[in-house]
Amino acid sequence: MAERGWDSILLYGNAWRKDPFRSLVNINFSGDHALARLSRSGEISVTFSDPWDAEVACAALQPDFVKAFSPGASAIAGLEFMEERFVAACGSLPVSATADVEELRRVKTAEEIEFIKQACDLADRGYQRFVEVAEPGMREFELVAEVEAFLKTNGAEDNFMLIASGGTEVVGMKPPTERKFKQGDSVTTELTPQVNGYYAQICRTLVLGEPSREQLKAFDIFSEAQCAAQDLIKPGITAADAARAQNDIFRKHGYGDYTGAKYTRVRGHCLGLYPDETPHILEDIDYVLKQGMVVIVHPNTYLPLSGYMVFGDTLLITESGNTRLNKTEKKLFTK
Amino acid sequence: MKRGLITWDKAELPPSVFEARLARARAALTEHDLPALLVYSDVWRSTEGRHLTNYMPYWNRSLIVIPREQPPVLLCGLSPRVYPWIKSVTIFEEIRPASKLVPTLLQLCAERGWTQLGVLDLPRLPHEVFLPLGASNVEAYDVKLDLTDDAELAMQRRAAEMAREILTVELPKGVGLTDYQFSGLLELACRRAGAEDLVLLFGTNDSAPRPARGVMLGDKYSVAVALEYRGHWARVTQSLPL
Repeated sequence: MAERGWDSILLYGNAWRKDPFRSLVNINFSGDHALARLSRSGEISVTFSDPWDAEVACAALQPDFVKAFSPGASAIAGLEFMEERFVAACGSLPVSATADVEELRRVKTAEEIEFIKQACDLADRGYQRFVEVAEPGMREFELVAEVEAFLKTNGAEDNFMLIASGGTEVVGMKPPTERKFKQGDSVTTELTPQVNGYYAQICRTLVLGEPSREQLKAFDIFSEAQCAAQDLIKPGITAADAARAQNDIFRKHGYGDYTGAKYTRVRGHCLGLYPDETPHILEDIDYVLKQGMVVIVHPNTYLPLSGYMVFGDTLLITESGNTRLNKTEKKLFTK
Repeated sequence: MKRGLITWDKAELPPSVFEARLARARAALTEHDLPALLVYSDVWRSTEGRHLTNYMPYWNRSLIVIPREQPPVLLCGLSPRVYPWIKSVTIFEEIRPASKLVPTLLQLCAERGWTQLGVLDLPRLPHEVFLPLGASNVEAYDVKLDLTDDAELAMQRRAAEMAREILTVELPKGVGLTDYQFSGLLELACRRAGAEDLVLLFGTNDSAPRPARGVMLGDKYSVAVALEYRGHWARVTQSLPL
């Protein structure tokens, strides 16, 4: 704040993007809005829009949340997500502190890393549950219900989860449908439980029955690509390097066309208080990775061999390389 | 993130319901002499867009554009790979990729010759959408709509019934469990029954209801279940002893 000449900043969170607020005040609020005010001298005040949140946190309540904002704050983290009526209440157009706060959040503290390790452990156990209960005849949403129940039973606050099932016709993941699993299906998932505010992720593919030659061949490519990035990641390399390492494997095998936006989204991303933190792992992102950052590398994409396939682990960047935080076996799961 | 069952049962919500809702929106546009209505939608702010089109951005954000005299258009932050699924659960026939929402919107306005837009609840537009829209050559006007109709109320009633029925059966099972464990029971029952999303809060020892945090529930507790059924939320709170 001193560097920027800011006397005070606001950190805003809403029900979708709680992360700017929780980066200062790690309270899992259940109402619509929360706001923290931090002065340069370190004083913090907190306001909630929901009376239950305010009572639990012994904090100020402001049901008419426009009144929580007033002219005077130097900058706001989460400004971009704020409703315009809140921004207008701040007086002259406020400065965004979002990028600065996100940069501070990228390198995790020891306590944050501990929470992410707990989330990784839960992701591993959640995936184990996923494999245990998935079977032909079950519907996608029923499997998600089982996994969600397991994660909540074991302390997850939330969970970001996508799923898909089928064969070469599957081009991406989405929320679960009523589709029933069939023998031979690839069942893919991104599982991302949240513990004490922090997300960790695992991506795996399960084949129901004996995998086909094409599914095995596809998985070998995904595994080689993910390992190439994991072997490379250390402080000083860029997000682009990590993406290129994965995409080059697909190119080597003749599948370079499937590394672009038509068939995939990103080759990974950072993790923390939001499940899809920046920088994304993409060939045009030159952000230099640092010790203490937590990333997932996942070469998830569509291939004509197998349909959409996923494979990825959460990595903690260490002084000289990285540590894989997931313990789940790196293989194509079959059942 | 929505990870429950997002679907469109046309027997439950016939296309005619959405046609009537769009007709109301278009009547408001006619009243204000505006060519199109903009509706912002994200994973949390989905109610208005869902009411008009059955669209739910399970992740990411979108803009819904309802022209006065043409079919609605979805400007979608999600990948085109999921457009077939989106089309299967919404009224949309035209979906445009929009990793940058406002530039895509302005392109659409330019194509159609629109210099004005109605915006549903303009003061609640996120700043990052409001700012570039305000700086453009398209004038935005606040439009209010009454989003209540019989179909909406019937769906909310169904959501409330589902929450109440499940809570009545499950509530006594929380005795001797932690709030985490009881959350698991409720998640399983509600999501198996087709709940799209769920927010569970637990009250013990006269405290305000709060998210689970690993405490024992004892034999006297309350549970507030906010349940979303096919885009329609209801909150039911029950206490033990009943």
